[in-house]
Amino acid sequence: MAQQPPPSRTASVGPPSAGGMNAPATTPGGGQGQNSNQNLNQIVLEYLSKKGYSRTEAMLRKESANTDANGQPIPSRVEDTGGKMYSSTFNLVQNWIESSLDIYKPELKRLLWPIFVHSFLNLIGDFYPRDGQEFFTTFREPFEAEHEDDVRALAPIHEPEHLQQNNIAQLYRNNKYRLTMSHMAYTSLVMFLEQHEREGGMVVLHIVQNFLDVRTVDRQTAGGQKGLQRLLAERNGEQDAPAEDEGIPGHNPGSANMDRNAPTVLSKLSLGPMPMEADLMEDVKAELQDHDSTHPPAGAQNTLVDEFEQRIKREPMDDVPSRDLLPFPPSTARDVAMEVQKVKENRDRFRIEGRTGGVGPGISVTMFTFHNTFDSINCIEFSGDNSLVAAGTAESYIRVWSLDNRALTSPTDPPSYQYSSSRRLVGHSGPVYALSFSPSVAIPEPATNGHSSNTTSPDSQPRYLLSSSADTTIRLWSLDTWTNLVVYRAHQSPVWDVRFCPHGHYFVSSSADRTARLWSTPQIAPLRLFVGHDSDVETVAWHPNGAYIFTASGGGDRTVRMWDIVRGSAVRMFTGHTGNITALACSPSGHVIASADDRGEIILWSLPTGRLIKRMRGHGRGGIWSLDWSVESSVLVSGGADGTVRVWDVQENKESQQGKVVGEGGAGTKIDGTGGAVGGAAVAKSKAKKDVVVSPDQISAFPTKKSPVYKVRFTQMNLVMAAGAYLP
Amino acid sequence: MSVWNPENVVDVAESIGITSLNRDVIDHLARDVEFRMSQVLEEALKFMRHAKRTTLTTQDISQALRLLEVEPLYGYESTRPLRFGEASIGPGQPLFYVEDEEVDFEKLINAPLPKVPREISFTAHWLAVEGVQPSIPQNPTQADQRNQELSAKGPGANPTLAAVSGNDNVSVKPLVKHVLSKELQLYFERICSAILDDSNDEYRAAAFASLRTDPGLHQLIPYFVQFLADKVTHHLRSLFILTQSMMLIAALLENPSLYLAPYVPSIVPSVLTCLIGKHLGSPSLDGTTTHFALRDYSASLLSSIARKYGPSSSTLKPRIARSCLKHFLDSHKPLGTHYGAILGLTLIAGADGVRELILPNLKAYDAVLQEAVRDDARAEEAGYVIDAIKKALDMLREDHAELRGAVGEVLASRMD
Repeated sequence: MAQQPPPSRTASVGPPSAGGMNAPATTPGGGQGQNSNQNLNQIVLEYLSKKGYSRTEAMLRKESANTDANGQPIPSRVEDTGGKMYSSTFNLVQNWIESSLDIYKPELKRLLWPIFVHSFLNLIGDFYPRDGQEFFTTFREPFEAEHEDDVRALAPIHEPEHLQQNNIAQLYRNNKYRLTMSHMAYTSLVMFLEQHEREGGMVVLHIVQNFLDVRTVDRQTAGGQKGLQRLLAERNGEQDAPAEDEGIPGHNPGSANMDRNAPTVLSKLSLGPMPMEADLMEDVKAELQDHDSTHPPAGAQNTLVDEFEQRIKREPMDDVPSRDLLPFPPSTARDVAMEVQKVKENRDRFRIEGRTGGVGPGISVTMFTFHNTFDSINCIEFSGDNSLVAAGTAESYIRVWSLDNRALTSPTDPPSYQYSSSRRLVGHSGPVYALSFSPSVAIPEPATNGHSSNTTSPDSQPRYLLSSSADTTIRLWSLDTWTNLVVYRAHQSPVWDVRFCPHGHYFVSSSADRTARLWSTPQIAPLRLFVGHDSDVETVAWHPNGAYIFTASGGGDRTVRMWDIVRGSAVRMFTGHTGNITALACSPSGHVIASADDRGEIILWSLPTGRLIKRMRGHGRGGIWSLDWSVESSVLVSGGADGTVRVWDVQENKESQQGKVVGEGGAGTKIDGTGGAVGGAAVAKSKAKKDVVVSPDQISAFPTKKSPVYKVRFTQMNLVMAAGAYLP
Repeated sequence: MSVWNPENVVDVAESIGITSLNRDVIDHLARDVEFRMSQVLEEALKFMRHAKRTTLTTQDISQALRLLEVEPLYGYESTRPLRFGEASIGPGQPLFYVEDEEVDFEKLINAPLPKVPREISFTAHWLAVEGVQPSIPQNPTQADQRNQELSAKGPGANPTLAAVSGNDNVSVKPLVKHVLSKELQLYFERICSAILDDSNDEYRAAAFASLRTDPGLHQLIPYFVQFLADKVTHHLRSLFILTQSMMLIAALLENPSLYLAPYVPSIVPSVLTCLIGKHLGSPSLDGTTTHFALRDYSASLLSSIARKYGPSSSTLKPRIARSCLKHFLDSHKPLGTHYGAILGLTLIAGADGVRELILPNLKAYDAVLQEAVRDDARAEEAGYVIDAIKKALDMLREDHAELRGAVGEVLASRMD
């Protein structure tokens, strides 16, 4: 070390080959200068001792001790080692955290990732490309499990100008990474850094101050969230899950307000069902009464009118959205028929009332497998009345089939047209990424000669189909004439997802231009613009009452946000996913949203409180493409790229939340924990490499034969319909 | 240090006429190229993900380039893998390039059109019924899914869940073993011996009465089915045992508290055997025509099964009809078999079946019958067969009096 001239900052700013320690010693002074310099010192010292200036001599010796043989100063502060300093400081912090107290370890470990990112970005920004690469490759390994995508995105950054163009780097540079720690952990960190100021403490402190937003909480007051028991429980595995309020857009849990001093009061949500129009309600009631008199309910069944009144009265009236704020076109005879049928189906459905006797409910799944697709199908969608299925393809067209093999006819067909049970919709000029049918309910054909028939009448079919594509447009198709009616252009990038409102008329779209937009079918310009995501808005979902939407994004953002469509403002934000979010579904009860990511994790969030309910794992990697809830909101079903349909129990795990149980029953697990403490790290590592661990919330899993599942859907009667393409 | 080889930068520079490039510039450019490529790849991955694919295609790359406002690369299609040619420009310096196939225009025009790719189609099947995955060809077998983690393990996992979904490992045993109580075992033995006891009619009648009415027999059904199959296969010579077996089925079918639908597939073969079996009973002991009574009885039993369980199993009736028809058309089978087959077809398929399945074949069957009528030993049996055909035709006549065809008339006159 001492043999080489320490690089100065000025020397390393410039071509990389000249920068850093690896450059050959090409100091202008050269060997000659060194010798003369050393000799000169020698001569002076000899001279001083000869003359007896002992104090001057001592002073000179003392002062020259800090320089090496070449007369240049030996670096005593780590900052002076140039690009190397981040490696040594990171090592220092890592070792300290490893050896710190067990109760602080989980909190302190969360610090390593932001320090790692910012050390690397600083290295690149200061033009130490070689050191940056070295640093990155040395320390990236522990982060690959949780931050795989970010690590991959950061890896190719070599030059300061890349920092400006890399989304992830920009996100980290321009935002503060939020982190919550307990007082004690934070104090001990600061004390440690100040003690080791010269070995790099200042470097880390600098990063913490400039790029991190560390919030300290008192462990006592934080209670369950950061409580001791929680930390002890986390030690047994769940360490890799980021806290709810951690991350770049780190939010105040539950609230969409990211301000540091945001009020702790959450904005009030109206999660009840949308009230019915008075006229429509009267019509439906009359119709139901009529039906009840002609078909008296069998056995213990309720009459339809009772069922209907129960449904209306079930919710307290104070949390329903106002109908005046969200105008809809007046209802038609078709709406009445649909509402009547909904009540009927709701009464006659297969009931799934949650876990009974420890065994999950028996779900039936019909799988529709598409053949000969050559992986060209991008999305599949069922219509609400289960009569149509549509697939959007990479070849820019949409194909619609009739599920009951009925000819799809149009009044504009020429007489010679040969009817078939499928139609192509051609119009897009890029791959079609999402489809959505307008709402519909299967209305059975009016009963003929006494017995009811199983076939549905043609006018229960949905009227419209929406499609979104990479050509940045959304198109509205008529399913009566099988033609394109409207092209909606406003997005600037591929439109990833589009969803019809549960009551029709409105729809919402999300795009790679980082916005989601609200539209109404008769207008070609968007009504609302939802801006706030830091990367592509990957998917959208509606709240069942139609007053809110949910958006989710991937990339560096990975948040789920909830927006009020009337005011156009964000009302909730949820962070905690570690992968790109691929699917969203809000429960029919309106109180829980489920989101799934491409790392095979499903998270349930409570809307009123804005908090995470639980994480559920089980799917393999590669994306969960679809989620849906049973009518009672008691069971969640998911389908994904690993070719399985899985059924989940959504009830909250009481055991893991109640401190008591963990404390008492924890005695046994605690012993296990300490017994395996030596091999603990190794076990965790092998677990990470192995397949996904299935969490106990899974009720059952049904594998398909090499068919990734693109769509799962619960019908009104609680039958699951799944669709996928067979990929041999 | 960068993945992208700086030599490539030199090569490209030379190809556009820049011969001297500073070493630092080369390194810088190489690093920049790497960064740009990863940028494109990141965007392309997004397109791949939204297409729900796990392989990146050239289409994704061109979409990504378009999104980054770069002119896409044309001429690469994703349906055919690229072929790379290799050329050596010196020892250990291979150069790779995309091989462009030379196509003879004449040949291309005259070549037959390539096959039209198959249409996209879809099929439906049950992936799960009431939480259990049925083992049908459309679903993967246990061996296929061994490498997948399907059920939860570790603390808190519910072992019964795994067992219920049919993914149980060997270690997980169902909680309840199928145990028959002593009383039921005793009951089963008594019933079996009573049914086969030809000395005591009263005893037998009591056994059948018990079977017809007792509500608590569900656990015994599999044992009775097994007993039945065993008796029918091993005692084809004894008309008595066969008849008793049929009566056992009739008794079970009549019991209102039993749910027999899952066992119908295993009951039907026994009944069919008694209907269209080649040789039932021994002619020396019972005479040549007594077995017709058994056939009649089995036919009525079969029709009642078909009526009761036909609606719940769409393949039941066609399957029975198919095997009856097969035996009817086989002229080498004895007349008894033909009798049973005609009877079965008449009762299962009804008037439509007679018209579609029996009528067209009567002309050909006439020859067989003629031969039998002339043969004294078989004349009596032939009479039974003719009666059966008459019965079938009567049914047809009732159904469509006016449609009584010429063939029927001819036959009827011949029979008279």
